[in-house]
Amino acid sequence: MPRIHLGARQPRLRSGELVDQLAYELKGHRATGQPLIYEKEFEGGAIRTTVIWDAWESLSLEDRTSIILSAYTEAEGSEYRSRVALASGLTVPEATSAGMLPFQVITAIRTGDSVTLDECRKAMMDVGASTLLDQHRPQLRFATLEEAEATVKELVSRLPHSEPVWVTMQDFGSLDDWVDR
Amino acid sequence: MPMRLLDRCGADSIREFRAAANLRFNDALALAASGRRTAAIYLWGYVAEMSLKAAYFALIGHPETASLSWAVHISPAIAAGRAMGIAWPNSGAGHNVRAWAEFLVLARAINPATAYPPDLALAVQANGQRIGRLWRETLRYHKNFAYRYEVSQMREATEWMLVNSNNL
Repeated sequence: MPRIHLGARQPRLRSGELVDQLAYELKGHRATGQPLIYEKEFEGGAIRTTVIWDAWESLSLEDRTSIILSAYTEAEGSEYRSRVALASGLTVPEATSAGMLPFQVITAIRTGDSVTLDECRKAMMDVGASTLLDQHRPQLRFATLEEAEATVKELVSRLPHSEPVWVTMQDFGSLDDWVDR
Repeated sequence: MPMRLLDRCGADSIREFRAAANLRFNDALALAASGRRTAAIYLWGYVAEMSLKAAYFALIGHPETASLSWAVHISPAIAAGRAMGIAWPNSGAGHNVRAWAEFLVLARAINPATAYPPDLALAVQANGQRIGRLWRETLRYHKNFAYRYEVSQMREATEWMLVNSNNL
C-alpha cells in the first residue's frame, strides 16, 4: 500500500463555494489578503477585472472567468456585471510571471530581532502570502508600492516590533526583458 | 530564373495574415488526418494568432494591405494591452493567443460602438484561453505526441476563430 503524503495545502473549494467566497470578498473591501481584485474602469463604462487568487490553481482559465462573472452578478447585480467586459483569474505565480505583481515584501531577519522567522511566516500567511511556488517560503506580491506598504503596516500591527524586518523590493525583470523593451 | 520562395513572400499584413490563416488551417487538417497530431496543433496555433492579429489591426483602422512590423505595430500593441491590464508575459509575447484574444475583447469594449455582444466577447476569450492551454510556438522544439482529444479541442477552437474571423 503506498503511503501518500498530501502536505498541508488547503482543501480545494468547489465552483459554487468559490463564487460565494469571491462575492463575499467583492462586497467586503478587505484591506489585505487574497484574493487581490484589480478593477480598471474605462471611459465608456467598460470594466476590466483581474482576480489574483491561489484558489484558482486547479481550475482552467475559462472556469475562472465564469466564476468571476457569477460572483459579480451575486455581489453587484446583473447591471454592473454587464459592464464587466473582461474577467480573468490568475494565481499569484501566474500573475508574477506576467509581470503584474512587481512589488514584493520579504523578511530580512537578523540576530537580535525581537521576532522569529516562523512568526514572520505566519504573519505573511495571515495577510495573504502565496505558497504555491514553495510551501515553506511564502511570497507576498503586489501590483503597486502602495499595496506593499499598506501590507507592511498590517504586518507590523499583527506582529509588534517587527518594522525593521520587512523589506519591500521591486522586480526589474531579466536582461532579456530589458532588451525586448 | 524563378524567384525563391522567401523572395515571393509579401510583407506581413492583415490580408496576408487572413489568407495564410486559411491555408495553414487546411495544412493542419491534412497533418491531423495523417496522424501528425502535434504538427497539426502547431500550425493551428498560428491560424489563431494570425486571425486575432488581423482582427485587432483591422479594428484600429490599419489598412488591409499595409505592412505590419514587430517594432512599429506588434510591440506597441502588446504594450497597449499591458497598459490596459492584460496579463501578457514577455516570453513569446507576440505569439500569446490568450493575451491577443483578451486584448481584442477589451480594445473593442472600450468603445461602445465597437464592443462585442456579450456572448461573442465571452466566446473570443474562451477560445483564446483554450488555445493558450494547448499551444505555444515552442511546441516545434519538442518531440511529444498530442492526444486525440487535444487535437479535437485545438481544431474546434481554431475553426471557431476562422469561421468567425469576419466578425472578430
